[in-house]
Amino acid sequence: MTPVYTPLRELSISVRSGEVSPVELAETFLERLETHGPKLNAVVTLTKERAMKHARRAEEEIKEGKLRGPLHGVPWGGKDLLATAGIPTTWGAAPYRDQVFERDATVVTRLDDAGAVLAAKLAMIELAGGMGYRQPNASFTGPCATPWSPRHWSGGSSSGSGASVAAGLVPFAIGSETWGSILSPANNCGVAGLRPTYGRVSRHGAMALSWTLDKLGPLCLTADDCGIVLEAIAGHDSRDRSTSKRLYRYVLKRDGLRVAVPKGVTDGVAEPVRRNFEDAMRAVEGFAEVEEIEFPEFPYGAVTRTILNAEAAAAFDEFTERGLARGLTAPECRYGPYAKTVVLAVDYLKALRLRERMARIAEDVMAGYDAVAAPSRATTVPEIDKEFRKSTPGTARDVMGALGNGAGLPAVSVPSGFDDEGLPTGIQFMGRAYDENGVLSVAVEYQSRTGWHKVHPERFTP
Amino acid sequence: MDSEAETLFTLVKEKHGDRIAPDELEEVRKAVERIVESSKELREFELGNWDEPFNVFKPYRRDGE
Repeated sequence: MTPVYTPLRELSISVRSGEVSPVELAETFLERLETHGPKLNAVVTLTKERAMKHARRAEEEIKEGKLRGPLHGVPWGGKDLLATAGIPTTWGAAPYRDQVFERDATVVTRLDDAGAVLAAKLAMIELAGGMGYRQPNASFTGPCATPWSPRHWSGGSSSGSGASVAAGLVPFAIGSETWGSILSPANNCGVAGLRPTYGRVSRHGAMALSWTLDKLGPLCLTADDCGIVLEAIAGHDSRDRSTSKRLYRYVLKRDGLRVAVPKGVTDGVAEPVRRNFEDAMRAVEGFAEVEEIEFPEFPYGAVTRTILNAEAAAAFDEFTERGLARGLTAPECRYGPYAKTVVLAVDYLKALRLRERMARIAEDVMAGYDAVAAPSRATTVPEIDKEFRKSTPGTARDVMGALGNGAGLPAVSVPSGFDDEGLPTGIQFMGRAYDENGVLSVAVEYQSRTGWHKVHPERFTP
Repeated sequence: MDSEAETLFTLVKEKHGDRIAPDELEEVRKAVERIVESSKELREFELGNWDEPFNVFKPYRRDGE
């Protein structure tokens, strides 16, 4: 069997049975990262030495019958905002290209403990997009392409995480989302991406863009894979006081699934996205009770945007004061931080006060549902060399993104088909706080009835 | 330009003007206007004295942590 494009559950069985060894896996994926990574601008640093050391350790442990779980011996890639001891962590930004930390991020440690093998640090939009990028060329490693087309963007800011999984360069990757940064690359690259509940996964050792909005989560071939990875990385961490003490176990619910669709959710959405979403919902209706809901009028976007602007300005205060933004790649990011420095404290606090109202609205409207469904993105995949507003103009408001991120709610994006140019579209399932299993149950069942996740870009298929 | 946005734009220029190229100022001005628009949207929403911020933010579930 080839391990490339093999979902984690099957890959794990092959590793445990000895059909494929962790060292072979590491060699295969390191070779693919080295060969194909540059074609996509998806890789920042290969962690070859560390990968081979950990792969050999995994191989010995498995031979001795010391099994650590489904990720044992499986290579992965991390968005280059996760600290890795002794290996550069660039945050996608030229001013930090030589930055090296002494310790691993908690999520890296958790995956080490699970026996997974870090193979690469993956490309990302500079500073996770916090400086207000308006086009794909906003990383010192260049614009990252979706494996489906060299002329189209991978999405961001977890660009390399989405592209590497879609091109079969790693079996899974870790990304981060403040507002859209996991769901966007999952959508544009045609893979599954899970944004966990805020506080589910420790942010310790990950670059902070917005302390109360940042979430780390997996990008994988399937929603099922996302559940497997989440179980390995979730959990309380005394070094991140926002982490929840709720235990997470990945358990699927098979019966009685209920899915809500917000009224007007396809208003202003690009035609191919709308068409594929409607087809996807017909598949969902085959196994779940589907009802329409309505989120009340509320300044969702203003709340989340104000929190993001104020916290990003504070998180990068020193960076801004030292004039380091001049060294960024995208011209708009070089002056992006300055306007954010004048968000008034009273307005930031008003946003934080309204946030509780927003969370209660979400809880009330979504109660009784396993997931709320919507298109993952309103537009088709943007071109790689144009500003977003010129490449994919649209009028849809991102209420799901504003509400979901502002209230810290989990969501998973999975492929829903292709547009007329053969580029992927996605459907997202968003759930109540701490109900990752609800959204995963819906997504896994959806994927068991559709084949979009089994289609891979031809030029990367072995 | 809205007077509040104008005042805040002046503040940006005072604080960081030496780092912003002349051709970038217009974009910074538009960004300040967008920030003020968001703030005004928030201010339209009335809250009571007892409405506190989520100081240590935790996603809300009716059945608690």
